[in-house]
Amino acid sequence: MAKIELVNITKRFGKFTALDNVNLEIKDNEFFVLFGPAGAGKTTLLNTVAGLVMPEEGVVKFNDEIMNKVDPSHRNVAMVFENYALYPNLTVYENIASPLRSPLYKKDDATIDKEVHRVAQILRIDHLLERLPSQLSNGQKQRVAIGRALVRNPNVFLMDEPIAHLDAKLRHHMRSELKEMQSSFNSTVIYVTHDFLEAVSLGDRIAIINEGKIIQVGTREEVYYTPCNEFVASLVGEPEINLVDGRLIADNGKYYVEVLQKGYMLPLPENSGIIKKLIDSGTTEYHIGFRPNNVKYTFEKKEGLLRGTVYSFESIGNKAVLIAKIGDQFLRMIAPNDLKVKLDQDVYVELPINRATFFNAQTTQFIGTSDEAAIYRLVQEQLSKGVQ
Amino acid sequence: MSKLIIKNLYKRYENKGRKKTDKNEFAVNNFSLECEDGEFIAILGPSGCGKTTTLRMIAGLEDITAGDIFIGDTRINDLHPKDRNIGLAFEDYALYPPLTVFDNIAFNLKAKGVPADEIKKRVMEIAPLLKVEDLLDKMPVSLSGGQKQRVNIARAIVRRPGILLLDEPLSHLDGKMRQALRTEIKRLHNEIKCTTVYVTHDQLEAMSLADRMAIMNLGVLQQFGTPMEVYDDPANEFVAGFIGEPPMNILKTTIIKHENDFYFTFENSDLRILCPKRYYDLLKDGMQVKMGVRPTDIYVGGPDSKGTPVRVAVFEDLCAERRIGVRVGDELVMMITEDETRYRQGEQIKLEVNGEKTHLFDLETGNRIRPKK
Amino acid sequence: MRRKRMINNAVKNGLLALYAIFALFPLFWMVLISFKSDAQMFNTTFFFDPTLENYEAVLLRTDYFKYFFDSVIVSVIAVLISVLAGVPAAYALARYDFKKKEDLAFTILSFRFAPEILVVLPLFMIYQKIGLYDTYFGLIWVYQLITMPLLIWVIRGYFEDISVEIEHAAMVDGYTWWQVFLKRLLPLIKPGLVSASLLAFIFAWNNFTFPLMLSGTKVETITVASLKYIASDTVHYGQMAVAATVSALPAVIFALLIQKHLVRGLSFGAVKG
Repeated sequence: MAKIELVNITKRFGKFTALDNVNLEIKDNEFFVLFGPAGAGKTTLLNTVAGLVMPEEGVVKFNDEIMNKVDPSHRNVAMVFENYALYPNLTVYENIASPLRSPLYKKDDATIDKEVHRVAQILRIDHLLERLPSQLSNGQKQRVAIGRALVRNPNVFLMDEPIAHLDAKLRHHMRSELKEMQSSFNSTVIYVTHDFLEAVSLGDRIAIINEGKIIQVGTREEVYYTPCNEFVASLVGEPEINLVDGRLIADNGKYYVEVLQKGYMLPLPENSGIIKKLIDSGTTEYHIGFRPNNVKYTFEKKEGLLRGTVYSFESIGNKAVLIAKIGDQFLRMIAPNDLKVKLDQDVYVELPINRATFFNAQTTQFIGTSDEAAIYRLVQEQLSKGVQ
Repeated sequence: MSKLIIKNLYKRYENKGRKKTDKNEFAVNNFSLECEDGEFIAILGPSGCGKTTTLRMIAGLEDITAGDIFIGDTRINDLHPKDRNIGLAFEDYALYPPLTVFDNIAFNLKAKGVPADEIKKRVMEIAPLLKVEDLLDKMPVSLSGGQKQRVNIARAIVRRPGILLLDEPLSHLDGKMRQALRTEIKRLHNEIKCTTVYVTHDQLEAMSLADRMAIMNLGVLQQFGTPMEVYDDPANEFVAGFIGEPPMNILKTTIIKHENDFYFTFENSDLRILCPKRYYDLLKDGMQVKMGVRPTDIYVGGPDSKGTPVRVAVFEDLCAERRIGVRVGDELVMMITEDETRYRQGEQIKLEVNGEKTHLFDLETGNRIRPKK
Repeated sequence: MRRKRMINNAVKNGLLALYAIFALFPLFWMVLISFKSDAQMFNTTFFFDPTLENYEAVLLRTDYFKYFFDSVIVSVIAVLISVLAGVPAAYALARYDFKKKEDLAFTILSFRFAPEILVVLPLFMIYQKIGLYDTYFGLIWVYQLITMPLLIWVIRGYFEDISVEIEHAAMVDGYTWWQVFLKRLLPLIKPGLVSASLLAFIFAWNNFTFPLMLSGTKVETITVASLKYIASDTVHYGQMAVAATVSALPAVIFALLIQKHLVRGLSFGAVKG
């Protein structure tokens, strides 16, 4: 159990900067998710916390104590590796028991036996204890890797994309199981992933990382409803958010945005405070974000809706994604699984301007959102945190 | 553009690599299907189910142990692959490294002696369909995975084959690339309407692309139907649990009769679900079956609900939707909702199940027990 | 199709059997005549009265066992030193990056390419000058040219196949670097180490050029000593056969012991799984 801090961490590999002035503060007992695309620096950051990698600049602190000169074995961290890193010549039992046999964290045989069985039961691998890693499926190997970490009582659990290499079905299932198990960790956790669902499901707070830099840190609501720029907005959400060009038009004291087609105007909602934010932003050119599950469509010609054609219709499990082509732009929206639709048929789209996110078209920075419900929820969250 | 007819196809495993203890003698076991001209058929199943073996037999890359395959009116069992009028685009792109993209696509036509201007016409016709018209004078080594796969498919269809065979063409591509190319394949098929057989283990791919899908497991065809047919009307437990994300919740249940009504009951749980009336003719008190219900057909009841009280085991907030898991006995039952209420682990909720949407499966065979109409 | 395959197999096996007979016959003959008395040497072929008199003559009435033990000492210690120095070298080549790393690796391997006869003359002169001629130390040292490159290449492959994450996992578990090496890494390279060592031993044991030119009477390996049994006046074929057979024994026995592991042990490192 520890508060983990990274202060001005920079790590280079030759000419390549893997981590660029990273600053993070992870609270004690927090389940902290590090989320970003491949190559962003997530594993390097985890390795820096573990002490497997030495930063060129900056310090790592555990509970305010500088750990830079402390080697990995003495940092008391538990790690779950992306490729499991199980010892091939040891049984599952011995793999899980391994840390408890090391000179630093040694326990007596009776305790080892008790702990290994306790953990194996939680992970449902108690029938596999005598097997070798080569006799296990990927899902089972992953549980053993987690088990080897769970027997510890470390300062922090470091988990590096632990379910990335499982097939889709198993991945969804294991994510739910990890969520159920969260309370068993009983310590600070830093969880690395490139999967959006894992990030929002598991994280108390999420840090978005790209190209070695931390872009935004916040709760799932904060990064989903108020992403600090277009990159974060596109990363957080599946299917990806729709970003369309828009321009602010003022007409007789009323404010509109012109989107997608010349002359197509959507009135901005008056009470969300978005109009003021747009005026204050200093620009009238925007990229407006609409989440696919908020975009509405119909196949009947209706006044005031945008006309496009169906570009594709694809199932995503219990729903489907309908992609409409409007001019050169593609809009993604959610549709029911059993929708009967032909490719290239006409479709009429309604953009929900009252649940939209606005970005400065030039700087890609977040200006504001018109989604009142989201704003309300975020404010409630801040208040409840303040009360604590 | 041809019909494909497969009749009672068998493939016996060769001895090498098979252990003596394996009970399953056949890699493909009595597989039959009829595919209409211009139809897009997916063969879907977990690894080792026999789907690739089946495809390879259609292609002529594997011997057929028993059964017949017809393309159009021609029985192709003994024909050499090159005489079967098929286009192949397999997982490993295998583009010829020293040839340009244009030459790669044109290779087969050249080998067949097609005149040069006809070759050019056909390649230029095909290239825009797969969005490779800008890549025609590039070399394979400079292409990305997605681009190589597009060239691979272009190469297969430029021959105007009777049947196009695709074996997991997207499996080596990463998430976004795979989605984009999947859309392109769907649009391509819409354009050229070539009879296509597409092998995959990804049920979303099959659901998105196929007109009809053949689901296989352990060499045996489980069900052949449209995506909605296999989703709403699964033939057995395997199909029901395989199609859909999150998968259908399938639980062992004991039927109890109480005052003229039948209820599903579960071991180590207080949960009771009223059985739909259309099953009543088939149910007996004390009968054991498996019950399946999709996560979208389970709900959290409101304050006045008469649903069973259960504790939330898992609550996942996925922004656009929420997933709630509860334990029924030893099983984790998942439900999906767009409702904005957030729950804590351990919190008590009232569980309601839409009994009308439940499926019954035989405990032993796994076959679906269909209600008498 | 099936019939064709069966004929194919029969022909293949037939040819292989023929080749096996061709390759093994000389060895078979050699062992056979070691049990033949001089009297029966030329007037019998496969059927004769076996006798141990050749064995008696060679093993008991000559210095055979001294030569045998010289071979043992030189080969075993050479391999031991190669292991002690080669394993850390292989680890360094596998795990660390430094300038000219691949050049160094290739240089080590190149020692096996050079024909011994090419280097032995300059070595002879050097050894004479520095006083290493006809010493155990001298031979053991020059044998490193034979034993070390093989070991380093095989073990390097093994280390490269062990994901570095396993070392990280062990460190995080609380083991020091040495414990990681001894407890986690060594067991994993054991198959490669054993088969490479045994193969290196076989090469060292069979070496003829180096002991011939770089040592004389104080250190005499069995390969060089076998020459003695090829007398110029009366040729005791039977005794020659005994000398050859017994000297081949260690190599053959070890090869048989490790044959299963030999291919796996040597190629495992090379193939990336």
